[in-house]
Amino acid sequence: MPSPEVLGPPGAEVLLLGNEAIARGALEAGLGFASAYPGTPSTEIVETLASVAKKLGIYVEWSTNEKVALEAAFAASASGVRALAAMKHVGLNVAADAFMSISYVGVRSGLLIVSAEDPSMWSSQNEQDNRFYGMMAYVPVFEPHSPAEAKEMAATALDFSEKLGTPILMTPTTRVSHTRGPVKLGQLRPRAPKGYFKKDPKRFTLIPAHARERRKAIIERWMRVKEAVNDLPFNRVEGSSRVVIVASGISYAYVREAVDRLGLDVAVAKVGTPVPLPARLVREAIAGAERVLVVEELEPVVEMQLKDLVASEGLDVEVHGKDYVGYEGEMTLDRAARAILEFMGKNPLETPWRAGNTVDLELPERPPAMCPGCPHRATYFALRKAVNSLSLKAVYSGDIGCYSLGVLPPFQEQDLILEMGGSIGAANGLARVAEGQVAIAIIGDSTFYHAGLPALANAVYNGNPLLVLVMDNRVTAMTGEQPNPSTGITAMGEKARWIPIEDVARGLGVEKVVVFDPYNLKEAFNALRDALKYVVDNKKPAVAVARRACSLYIDRIARRRGVETPLYAVVEDKCTACGICYNAFTCPAIMVKSDGKAWIDPDLCTGCGVCAQVCPFNAIVKVREGSPEWEKLWF
Amino acid sequence: MGRLSILAAGVGGQGIITLASTLARAAVASGTKALVAETHGLSQRGGSVEVHIRLGDVHAPLIAPGDADVLIGLELIEAARRVSHLRSGGLLLAADTILRPAVPGVRVPSREELVSAMRRAAGDAKVVVVPARELASKVGGLLFSNMVMLGALAGSGILEGFVGVEELERVIGTLRRREENLKAFRLGLDYCSTHCSSGRG
Ligand SMILES: Cc1ncc(C[n+]2csc(CCOP(=O)(O)OP(=O)(O)O)c2C)c(N)n1
Repeated sequence: MPSPEVLGPPGAEVLLLGNEAIARGALEAGLGFASAYPGTPSTEIVETLASVAKKLGIYVEWSTNEKVALEAAFAASASGVRALAAMKHVGLNVAADAFMSISYVGVRSGLLIVSAEDPSMWSSQNEQDNRFYGMMAYVPVFEPHSPAEAKEMAATALDFSEKLGTPILMTPTTRVSHTRGPVKLGQLRPRAPKGYFKKDPKRFTLIPAHARERRKAIIERWMRVKEAVNDLPFNRVEGSSRVVIVASGISYAYVREAVDRLGLDVAVAKVGTPVPLPARLVREAIAGAERVLVVEELEPVVEMQLKDLVASEGLDVEVHGKDYVGYEGEMTLDRAARAILEFMGKNPLETPWRAGNTVDLELPERPPAMCPGCPHRATYFALRKAVNSLSLKAVYSGDIGCYSLGVLPPFQEQDLILEMGGSIGAANGLARVAEGQVAIAIIGDSTFYHAGLPALANAVYNGNPLLVLVMDNRVTAMTGEQPNPSTGITAMGEKARWIPIEDVARGLGVEKVVVFDPYNLKEAFNALRDALKYVVDNKKPAVAVARRACSLYIDRIARRRGVETPLYAVVEDKCTACGICYNAFTCPAIMVKSDGKAWIDPDLCTGCGVCAQVCPFNAIVKVREGSPEWEKLWF
Repeated sequence: MGRLSILAAGVGGQGIITLASTLARAAVASGTKALVAETHGLSQRGGSVEVHIRLGDVHAPLIAPGDADVLIGLELIEAARRVSHLRSGGLLLAADTILRPAVPGVRVPSREELVSAMRRAAGDAKVVVVPARELASKVGGLLFSNMVMLGALAGSGILEGFVGVEELERVIGTLRRREENLKAFRLGLDYCSTHCSSGRG
């Protein structure tokens, strides 16, 4: 839930999450349209905008993927409405084709593209540095260092974008997007999402003849951008010294604190637009310097441009960066301090920050786990049994979502996880090539609509024998239960058409489609066995839909409305301490007592009742009926 | 004004983010700069979670190793995992709660093993184990442990000069189920007023 302070009065200083600050900044700069596909750490930007959309009269949507989100936001901008598209860093890969072309045609009203980066991969499959996308597409990159700056940048970016006719790429990292900090509010100026698309085919239709002209235009635009970034308040020099530390984005926060606390005699050049480098400003900062250290996360984007500047102007200054700072992972205070001290010829161990003792006791790991009541757990349990019952050798082609956690014991039913939609794509190849193995693609509902459809059409078209198992929990759960085409509501809370996955599968020509409720293990087992048998016997694709809403989503609604859920408990005398419920099913609500018998924590139990079906001794029973409203919450 | 760095750790779903943002809101209301860095990690519930809270004269969102003035653990294993983050002479407040990781065949250390290992590793830092589960159950369940621990933090006196108790109570009053949350906060505060002396020395 976004903080109510997002709509606070001008002049107030409030605590906002970085992503909320970006939303507020855009609203202060006349935003009328926002679209996004969720992805950590970007999600709260559009979640925040959606929560205030009706009140402010702007339009906000969850798009089916990042490419669609960006295309839609672009069209709003081309029609005269300031727009924002948000995504996580890898989302820009999905939107990259659109991103390149949008740079070519340019924008009319301000267009802000936010790609939230995730150094250290807290919730991502890679730590790519999207500032390179800015370089490749001639799109300026804004990189904030705090929630307060993120708000200012979002607002300034929309103005700058409109003034120079260029989209802007903003790249907050996890530590900006997911940090709460004080933010000074300005005037809200939302605007109605109404404009008009003035035709200009020479500019907006990228046939080769037009594209060649646009290529010239964007290089000219880039020259103007390169000059203009020098005057942005996000780039500045603090202090003067023969030693200069150039710090980009969030690294500035660490460098500033390290330099202050260590009392070092250095100048700090803060860079808020790493692409293009504010060359005039940086050149002034290093004019009298002998040595310069660039501190930035991930790739040497600023460092390369600075070295280029120094070489092309024949400056007599030594530039360092990655050789002291390193590439991997996010910046930290001690990492910045060690790099600076070493660079200055001091002992890097002189930092006051050193880890203390760790406990001399082996601590169990606590990997992320599927929630109590998670329908995915039940589906995995049934799938394993169905595969074994047919003595099949399965390759589980996995995907990205809460169900990725099926990679961990006890299930281990994810053999491959690449990128969103990759499960069905790769299963096409496995189905053709992997001999004696059956390809099972496992994908979530949101991911299915994001990038699964072309791959499923491919399977039908090419007749590739694979099972697509869609874990349809009716929401985009992993990123916080956003609605999607399988939910039946929009980002702004309006009723929408629910698109059932089985209808899509049949529409694409899949001849075998089964739908089951994973909370009924027997039904799930039979449906999966049936579909698998069909794939093996007929050498054709089949689709199985495991339909049961996300338990966390339902549980939250139940708690909020005070709806009583059913409750299960272990019958002491019947429990044999076999451990199946806590070792082979691993519901986090099931605890182990010192005698090895199970105990269900009533604070955690969601009442799904699957453990009662798992127990071979009928030792788990319902001890409280849920209220009748509880059944009605499930959709 | 100086600075105060508080590392809060526990298990997803225990309300650590609410604890941290309540504290930070109260800090801003008390005129203190606050930064709260959250790591959502992969799952909404059940994984190990840590939140970095920094108050006062700070820029960096993350606390450096050995630089935390306070470590608050809402769960004993998670507290024990992070003892090395504490500075010497710091304060460790750990809730007396153990949550079993949902891992097949996992061996969970006992409360006694965890507490004594923590004390050994903490050196000259002060270690206080707060009966958070018991106190929270007086107001309505485990759910309120986070406010008990926030109360304990306030009761330790270490927030003085950074965040006022009045401001804390005002912000807690805006939460859902305010009565229970306020009660939980006060139980923690009272507990620590008698059992913790300030770790700042
Ligand atoms: C290109 C891309 N966009 C967004 C994400 C972030 N993300 C991770 S999983 C996921 C969706 C999960 O939804 P669903 O497939 O319905 O599975 P669930 O989590 O509900 O089980 C998203 C959006 C990503 N990893 N890659």
